[in-house]
Amino acid sequence: MIRINEKTIEKFFFLSAFFSALVTCSIFAFLFVLGLPLFSGGRFFSIITQPWAPHLGHFGIYPMIAGTLAVSLLTMVVAFPLSLGCAILISVVDRGKMSWLLRKTVEMMTGVPTVIYGFVGIFLLVPLVREIFEAGSGMCVLSAVLMLTLLVSPTMILFFCDSFERVPRSYGDAVLAVGGTEIQKFLYVTLPHSWTGIVIGFTLSLGRALGDTLVALMIAGNAVQVPGSLFDSARTLTSHIALVFAADYNSMEFKAIFACGIFLYLFTTILVCAVRLVGGRRKMAG
Amino acid sequence: MKTKLSVVICIAAMALSLCAAAFAGDLDAFKSEKGEIKIAGGTAHIPVMKEAAARIMGLNPHIQISIAGGGSGVGIKQVGEGLVDIGNSGRKAKDEEVSKYGLKMFKWAIDGVGIVVNPANSVRSLTQEQLMAVFAGKISNWKELGGEDRGINLYTRDESSGTRAVFWKKALSKGDIASSANFVVSNGAMKGAISQDPYGIGYVSVGHIDESVAPVAFNGVAPSLENVKDGKYTISRGLYSNTKGEPAGLVKKFIDYLFTDEGQELVARKGFVPVK
Amino acid sequence: MRKFVEKIVPLFSWMCGIVLLVAIAGVLGYLFLKGYRSLGLKLIFGTTPPLDAFLMRRPVFNGLFPAIVGTFSLVFLAICWAIPVGMAAGIYLAEYAQGKTKQILDLFFDVMAGLPSVVVGLFGFSVTVFLNRNLSGRIYPCLFISSIALAFLVLPYIIRTTQIALEGLPGSLRMTALALGASRLQNIVRVLLPQSLSGIISGVILAIGRCAEDTAVIMLTGVVASAGVPRSLLSPYEALPFYIYYISSQYVDQEELATGYGAAIILLFICLVLFGLAFLIKKRVNLYSLYRA
Repeated sequence: MIRINEKTIEKFFFLSAFFSALVTCSIFAFLFVLGLPLFSGGRFFSIITQPWAPHLGHFGIYPMIAGTLAVSLLTMVVAFPLSLGCAILISVVDRGKMSWLLRKTVEMMTGVPTVIYGFVGIFLLVPLVREIFEAGSGMCVLSAVLMLTLLVSPTMILFFCDSFERVPRSYGDAVLAVGGTEIQKFLYVTLPHSWTGIVIGFTLSLGRALGDTLVALMIAGNAVQVPGSLFDSARTLTSHIALVFAADYNSMEFKAIFACGIFLYLFTTILVCAVRLVGGRRKMAG
Repeated sequence: MKTKLSVVICIAAMALSLCAAAFAGDLDAFKSEKGEIKIAGGTAHIPVMKEAAARIMGLNPHIQISIAGGGSGVGIKQVGEGLVDIGNSGRKAKDEEVSKYGLKMFKWAIDGVGIVVNPANSVRSLTQEQLMAVFAGKISNWKELGGEDRGINLYTRDESSGTRAVFWKKALSKGDIASSANFVVSNGAMKGAISQDPYGIGYVSVGHIDESVAPVAFNGVAPSLENVKDGKYTISRGLYSNTKGEPAGLVKKFIDYLFTDEGQELVARKGFVPVK
Repeated sequence: MRKFVEKIVPLFSWMCGIVLLVAIAGVLGYLFLKGYRSLGLKLIFGTTPPLDAFLMRRPVFNGLFPAIVGTFSLVFLAICWAIPVGMAAGIYLAEYAQGKTKQILDLFFDVMAGLPSVVVGLFGFSVTVFLNRNLSGRIYPCLFISSIALAFLVLPYIIRTTQIALEGLPGSLRMTALALGASRLQNIVRVLLPQSLSGIISGVILAIGRCAEDTAVIMLTGVVASAGVPRSLLSPYEALPFYIYYISSQYVDQEELATGYGAAIILLFICLVLFGLAFLIKKRVNLYSLYRA
């Protein structure tokens, strides 16, 4: 009796794992099947090159791909040095009050809801950007980048700190023994040994910047154009989905958002694979 | 103890009956009803829908009414697909939409689409020609229109918006809208965006215009309720509630309510022109 | 050159630290300054007496009550779906799966964890449309659909934290009960799970936080601007994060905007408490579980 029970429970374990994996596949399958009409008959090319102008029959998502890349890459340009600096401050430069305060703040920041950044962005950051730079409405790439930086930095900082602390103590002690400073130890020993952690932290944060919907939707302006400057309004793939998902189910507009979904799926999958290639799961699971 | 309790009950009952009395009249039809109404679509309609829902649900807590936006296109589509009971639209449903879904249209108000700028902006009048040039991106600085030396920030709505459809057809004569235009998701959001941006220009349901935005006269005619009413202001449209087939039960009562004296008074109070 | 770098790095790091602190203090300080005045019972219950609201005798129209109830029911449901499946899958991965199977499942869960929430929302929405057309016209975007989609979103976190907590246990602990004649399952349920509880619970709390703050999934799967307290699993509902998003662009007057600030403070408070709890239960929260797309 107990035996049978045990077998059933173990079967449940297996089925749960199998089911969860199945969900991952079926998400892709759904996106693919529903977006299929777009990919057949040589339309694929026009999808990624055309502009978006439904009344003219153009359903290209090229401006949105450009918007997504611009916003997420620029976010990393700002967030990466900032996070590296903060991580160095926490684990190397200062080991006192500031380090403690910063670490606690960063841990707290991981819990701040995305929508809050968007909300404060609209009422605080957007008018500031508009008045300081006197260009455009303030609903622009720059505003989204700054708020996204606050969103992705905390995780990146914690990742970096973690990978610095993982470097065995004995490595660095040698530097200190020959009269080197903490900074020297960090620059010449710790940093070279923790690059895998840094790459992983960077890649995962990039994934998060790519995948975030609310910040860009609320403060990037959502214009359908390839942004030409920091002060241009832009629309990301994620905002595009959120803006037009309720369109006519038979229309090309509706199908085009599945192309957006597929692109997002592929982008993030590539990033995840990159992380696995670099570090394997062991390292980032910690 | 017992008397105390009964006094409390009495007071509560009196309070309740007072409340009920305040809402009596055209709402009586909902008293014995029970159930759910799902509403989606046109965003110009939302203030009226919300207030009507609040009155009905306040009278009878057994009725639940949910209201979502999305735009006219979404309203027509979702009611046609049976996802909601009432699909609102700020434009007439197209003939093929009516025949495909068997839609019944109920026009309960007349509304205009007004051009709006921030109250801090001094520009208060535009000709159609100027407006078209502004939205096409050919005029890109307020200086050219007699305003400040700052760039013009365009705000527009997405394809499913009935407000956009009417504005595009009647104000822009189907002219271009520059791709640099920012997108907002509803009439409410348009008003919010313009009230936030001193250099923005957009278009919004006349019923939504209040002191937070400044109306701009179109060809010399201000987008006011009176001008819409007597037809002087040309960018006007009806506000429709659509159902799939003849409405029945609670849904029918809801739509009927919009046409009662009380409903039409509500329509007028929210800034639209009643149809009766 | 080397000397210069050695000088500049500490300076730079101090700069970064201060910029970050100032920025986040600015954001949260602004929110609090603008919003603290609106905090109070009126914010939540509007003009309805709180008792009437709780007993559902009268609906609340100009308060956050429906949105708060919506968020709590949503989170509760999503976690109810996600915990059994997620923990079971985590146990399978840690204790049973081997070799290729494990590698492949690992990859799948990593991909799933990396999916943007709007993609999960889109999936939920299209499944709903599909079911509505092919199964029954009575299926709409609703509380039930949203909670399932949210469960998918947090499933990988729960799987991961369970797996990592189990795998982190020392080998000796793993062997003791087995050596005493316990079955594999007994060993897991009686020995391993209790030992790794703190890790699992902190993971679950983080997942709750994720559910409470997510906006993109629910936006596509049934949340609406106005619905009242949800009466059933199949009705549309309101939720705090969506309310904040909605108010941010569509407020009618300053008073309504103030409720938006109030709602933001309440949501922030809920999420910070949850994250604080997770960090408290387990000093070093597994970094991977913080990652959200």
